[in-house]
Amino acid sequence: MTATLEYSRYEFQGNDELCLKVGGHHAQSILLIPPLFDEMNRMRRMLLDVMRLLDANGIGSVLPDLPGTNESLFPQQQASLAVWRQALRDCSNILPKCQHIASFRGGCLIDDFAKDMPKWRLSPAKGNALLRTMMRTRMASDKEAGLSTNMVQLTEEAQQGAVNLAGNSISASMFSELQEAVPSLSDDVRTAQLETSAHTGDIKLPGSALWLRAEPDEDLLLSGAIATNLVSWISS
Amino acid sequence: MSENLDLTPEAAVRAVMQDILGLDAEQVAAFTPDTELFGALPELDSMAVAGLLTELEDRLDIMIEDDEVDGELFETFGNLVAFTEMKAAE
Repeated sequence: MTATLEYSRYEFQGNDELCLKVGGHHAQSILLIPPLFDEMNRMRRMLLDVMRLLDANGIGSVLPDLPGTNESLFPQQQASLAVWRQALRDCSNILPKCQHIASFRGGCLIDDFAKDMPKWRLSPAKGNALLRTMMRTRMASDKEAGLSTNMVQLTEEAQQGAVNLAGNSISASMFSELQEAVPSLSDDVRTAQLETSAHTGDIKLPGSALWLRAEPDEDLLLSGAIATNLVSWISS
Repeated sequence: MSENLDLTPEAAVRAVMQDILGLDAEQVAAFTPDTELFGALPELDSMAVAGLLTELEDRLDIMIEDDEVDGELFETFGNLVAFTEMKAAE
């Protein structure tokens, strides 16, 4: 896997946002929508492995950063699912070759920015599940500091403006969006689940749920299976 | 959203532990009710526990309340399985 990474950008509300590209010379490209919050960090290595494997199979791919994440200058407390959908729309507009979307975990909550593009999803997450994990992480760190917090208090705090959950500044609007968000229903979706998952999917893939690990890791079995499935999906 | 397949609480706990700890199925199959968890497994830190609870909720279609979670719950594999069996039966 020796593909060249291109550090590209797209403009969103006056700021440059990072956008990684691999295999831009290929006829087709897939727009990858990363997992949200902490899960993104744990799966980034795997996503880059997928991009390199796609390139080896003659398919390009693009991985945009969402405003307010990584190096973005966009204020994190102004980020919301609606903002991220708009950013993906802006990014997508400069990528004519991207006619397919592959979204991962929480990324499946915002892949409906493009209603008509075919979508491939890995282990789609509900917004409320992401929120509950982040609230539990905050409660655990509060407990270590000798404080007692519960979800009702954190929900009230969020409604008053913003709440810090597991290192993320979550605005009132992001909080309420996450409470309700589920992956959109669409006819043109292929859903992949892990073989160990209890959920039914269109296809089951081998490998491990890297998003649940304590530390970021790689899993070439999973990235290989994802890339192979994406290649067959995009050619079908 | 896809529907959950039928899964016993014990099978769900084993599957989640396998995912969180990055173990293979044989290693997790060797867990007994006396297997110690929190404190004995370095990968199972407080952040991992947060993810574990949400995954169990998702896989077993249960809701775990704040006041139901205490240190004892994660002392052993048996305690965790007994708790999820109790929740699934509610």
